[in-house]
Amino acid sequence: MKKGKRKLQSNAVMLIMVLGLVAAACGTSDDTTTTTVAPTTTAAAAAATTTAAAETTTTEMVPVVCEATIGLMAPITGPVAFIGEVQLNWAKYAVDVWNEGMGWDVKLIEGDTMFDVAQSATLAAQFIDNTDILAIVGPAGSDQVDAAGAVFEAGDANLTFISPSSTRIGIAEKYAGMFRTVPTDADQGPSTSAFMVDAGASKVFMVDDQSSYSTGLADVTADSLEAAGVEVVRESVSQDVTDFSALVATIPDDTSWVYLPWQVAANGQIFGNQMAEQGKDIPIFGSDGMESEDFTIAGSIIAAFAGDIAGIPDSVPLLEGFLEQYPETNTFGPPVFAAVTTELVAIDVLCQSGNDLTRENVLGAIQAINRPTSILGQAISFAPSGDLIGGRFFFFEIQEDGTKTAIGG
Amino acid sequence: MEFFLQQTLNGLTLGSVYALLAIGYSMVYGILKLLNFAHGEVYMFGAFAGYGVLTLLGGPASPVVPVWLLLILMFAGAVVVSSAIGVAMERFAYRPLRQSSRIAPLISAIGVSFFLQASALFLFTAGFRTYDTPKLIDISTGITVGPIRVWLVRVLVIVGTAVVMVVLTLWVSRSRTGKAVRAVSFDREAAEMMGVNVNHVIVVTFLIGSALAGISGVMTALVFGRIFHFMGFIAGLKAFTAAVVGGIGSIPGAMLGGLLIGMAESYTTGYISSTFQNLIVFGLLILVLLIKPTGLLGKPQLVKV
Amino acid sequence: MPDSSDTPESRPTVEEAPTGIGVDEWVAQAGELREGHRGLTAPARRAFDSLRPGWRLAIVAVAAATVPYLVKPGGVRIAIGILILAMLALGLNVVVGWAGLLDLGFVAFFGFGAYFYAIVASEQLPAHWPTWIALPIIVFFSGALGVLVSLASRRVAGDYLAILTLFFSLIFVELVRNFQRLPFVSEDLNLTGGPNGIPGVDPWDFFGFKINTFNRHYYVLLVLIVLLIIVLHNLSSSRTGRAWRAIRDDVLAAEHMTIPVNNMMLLAFATGAAIAGFTGTVFAAVTVGVFPTSFTLAFLITVYSAVILGGAGSIPGVLLGALVIGYLPELLRSPRLAGWLFYFGLLVALALLIRPWQRLVAVIGGVVAFGYAVRIVAAAVWSDATTGTAAEGFISELLDGWVLILGENAQIITNIAFVAAIAGALAVTVVKGWWQVAVLIPTIYLGVLVWENRLVFQPSLTRQLVFGALLVIMMAVRPQGLLGKRRVEIT
Repeated sequence: MKKGKRKLQSNAVMLIMVLGLVAAACGTSDDTTTTTVAPTTTAAAAAATTTAAAETTTTEMVPVVCEATIGLMAPITGPVAFIGEVQLNWAKYAVDVWNEGMGWDVKLIEGDTMFDVAQSATLAAQFIDNTDILAIVGPAGSDQVDAAGAVFEAGDANLTFISPSSTRIGIAEKYAGMFRTVPTDADQGPSTSAFMVDAGASKVFMVDDQSSYSTGLADVTADSLEAAGVEVVRESVSQDVTDFSALVATIPDDTSWVYLPWQVAANGQIFGNQMAEQGKDIPIFGSDGMESEDFTIAGSIIAAFAGDIAGIPDSVPLLEGFLEQYPETNTFGPPVFAAVTTELVAIDVLCQSGNDLTRENVLGAIQAINRPTSILGQAISFAPSGDLIGGRFFFFEIQEDGTKTAIGG
Repeated sequence: MEFFLQQTLNGLTLGSVYALLAIGYSMVYGILKLLNFAHGEVYMFGAFAGYGVLTLLGGPASPVVPVWLLLILMFAGAVVVSSAIGVAMERFAYRPLRQSSRIAPLISAIGVSFFLQASALFLFTAGFRTYDTPKLIDISTGITVGPIRVWLVRVLVIVGTAVVMVVLTLWVSRSRTGKAVRAVSFDREAAEMMGVNVNHVIVVTFLIGSALAGISGVMTALVFGRIFHFMGFIAGLKAFTAAVVGGIGSIPGAMLGGLLIGMAESYTTGYISSTFQNLIVFGLLILVLLIKPTGLLGKPQLVKV
Repeated sequence: MPDSSDTPESRPTVEEAPTGIGVDEWVAQAGELREGHRGLTAPARRAFDSLRPGWRLAIVAVAAATVPYLVKPGGVRIAIGILILAMLALGLNVVVGWAGLLDLGFVAFFGFGAYFYAIVASEQLPAHWPTWIALPIIVFFSGALGVLVSLASRRVAGDYLAILTLFFSLIFVELVRNFQRLPFVSEDLNLTGGPNGIPGVDPWDFFGFKINTFNRHYYVLLVLIVLLIIVLHNLSSSRTGRAWRAIRDDVLAAEHMTIPVNNMMLLAFATGAAIAGFTGTVFAAVTVGVFPTSFTLAFLITVYSAVILGGAGSIPGVLLGALVIGYLPELLRSPRLAGWLFYFGLLVALALLIRPWQRLVAVIGGVVAFGYAVRIVAAAVWSDATTGTAAEGFISELLDGWVLILGENAQIITNIAFVAAIAGALAVTVVKGWWQVAVLIPTIYLGVLVWENRLVFQPSLTRQLVFGALLVIMMAVRPQGLLGKRRVEIT
């Protein structure tokens, strides 16, 4: 008797639970969320206001306050969460700074790709359905860009997506909605090679980490180097290798540079330590993925796709404001800020001139945009392919105390 | 010759770390016939616990206690945290499933693994942490073996692992609980009928296996430097491989398997190519399994009718 | 064997039948058989089960066919992903659920089919084979690969088979990623695209009818799955299916009953591999590209979760499992829904587990009182500790005056609260009586504290936490899977 009653009770509860879930699910189709954090200091907000105000086309009347929602696709959890977390934080920061300075209420919807192709596809699908979203920042990796791009095209979405870190050559051309705020491997390879050749290199030991970013960049750089007559020794390790001692032991003694176009800077630090352990006194050259607090081998050179924004006077207050709220930053952050702000500026332009805020219009506005300055220290405008015009790489040397000083480039 | 010695050394260091982790897998499997996919996460938390102790006591550049004491405390902290997680895992995720099919605990283990990874992300955030060991023990301190210099930390890892393995083997063969462990892994029901407290033995097994994982985590972080929330996944995979290749259920087998994989990785990278390191090592292991289907030191399983 | 704590509460009831020595499958399922179907939805379920399988399938298929009309286009894309997972789950079910072989290399067959299709139907070579030629060839070769792998692993059994097949899948990913670097392959033959994969795959094309919109993909997939289910159902009730189940339960006995065990295992592997390869071609066409990162161990785990959670060995079970595992993470992306789930689930769990109702009232009342007490104490001790902002949303606003919203030191306090809440939750399952109430109250409060202060702002992380916890809880509560039948392992 009692058992039957218990079974009835538990079934009733199950039923209510399921109904509740269904109700909630139905209610989420137009779900928006703010991921707000306590407002930032006014210095940063002031800096943003001046930048933003300077960029928008001037209107004589009181500026209109508009509504907008931006979607973010980033690898927030999963194997490269250190990239996604920083991208997410900078995106939130960009939205906060904009809201503070312009008086808007922009919402940011975060989406986790987990650096996985299938997840990017389903996330892209969800973003298509969320009609509030006007533009997207992300995805981070070139594979995910391919997957998301395919979904956007098949769904006829006219969605803009600005990737803040995908550097594979040719992707921006493939998808009408894709843009990027970072230069491509086509820029980094030759400039890296030119730097090494100028420094008198005769032999370069190059290791890629078998990721699409790394192999692409390594290929381009190796081609440039070999064209200039430098001998290139190519090796590769997968990203999950923890111990490079065996590889380090194979570095020939007459190597001029060790080039590590890696995504995971912390691995580079291990590599450098193990080189020191085995007495290999050869300088390391790292790509933009190595521009991070995790890599501090003195005497190394790294490339960055923006001048270290700590070296750009106008961007310093923004950086400081960021670091007051969030624990750490790395090279993947500022391009996200630039991407979000660019989208918001485009939306602002549309809004002030009275046009409808549709995805198509936003796409057109971004194609035509021309921002004289940005956090990256350069103007932002896009070529017809979607690539960033004027993106270039900067080189820094790491000092004994860990700071980076700009050189050459 | 120098090159060969160098690679051997690298292989030994790597292999030691794998071996310690593999022992935990093997022990748990021997007792419960369970592949504990969450073992790697225990290792990861051990490494973080060591990091916590290190930071609390002043950090690598300026520790407030002498270096040897600091290391002992780091290992102790890791052991405490790892064992706690391991025992909790057994008690809450695996014990309810003891009577069910073999596959059900696998999913539970996967769930625990996701949960622990996400918890690590929550507690520590996504960035990489490093022990920065060169600041603690300078790279130039070490011993000289023939033509090469060996960093003290590597010596520590190799010697430490050897000591642990010797102690463990003695414990398993001589002590009462050790014998109970062997009895339960051989035949659980018979052991129970002989008066062995099976629950107690299982908890002890998890405790020791997880403690070893914690130690392995701290060692890895000391030698190789970086820790992050996802490090357990890959390490767990390698350790699982080592345990199976050595003969799953056999502790000396796990040690042998771990060392074998470490050396194979080193020699492959050194003499063939680092690009195909994983490929060749896996191929090698497949060969081993095909030649000896129950693993190197595994006993052929008797099938009772 | 009785557990050492043999109190009245721990003795098994009929619902949890004993397993172990001398217990067979019939007894293990006795509880369920005797109870029959009880509860609110019982009449509907009984009616459904009494229909012939064909009708059941028809009802489900028709219901599924209406999905594109009910959801927006993105939802159809998600449904496509679920259907792909379902197909894979059906294939894995053949190997794991019916034949009982732990095949950890399943994802490699999936990848093989996907890459094969991508190579023959894209600009990679270039080759643009017509679909009606490509598909049967790929299915055939996938099955052949399955036979090969099975042959190679003939000598190994059980968990060694698992590791061997695992190596196989790991080797596959490595090979595909580094193909053009192999010493005997020329640099110009870029067969697999290396780490970049092969983007730009042709869509399926049946004599001019291209499958390149979401709806078309969906319906084609639906038809294929229905056909597959019919085939598999017939296979399952045939001699082959019975032979497989015999092998799963006891290999030695099966052998003595003159079942050709090795051949049956080969067949199971080949069937599973063929299904996986076929699904691979679907995946390649839908994703318009293949990448090495799609075929990793993580995805294998997803497929396994779907099969086992749903109930290995049961076709409706794995379909349900695929639906849950495919859809739940997408649902959990939305923080508002995750919030609803959290509080709802909490209340439901409390209602179910705490009896009698007086205790339930005590707990809830206690939590509310505890919350106010903490707030008063915190305000008195730290004046600026409570300067954070609450999240938006109906529930958060409701709780704004009650729960402590931290400002400074939020990270450390919530970290400690998190660990304490987990420890408390675990402890609650161990203690009994009024101790449960005493431990439960601070645990619940700490849980809400962590939720409102941090987790609600980190939906992606929460998604993983909830998913992992759900897997553990679901398996603990129902180890045979949602629609599986309890079985006894003969060890």
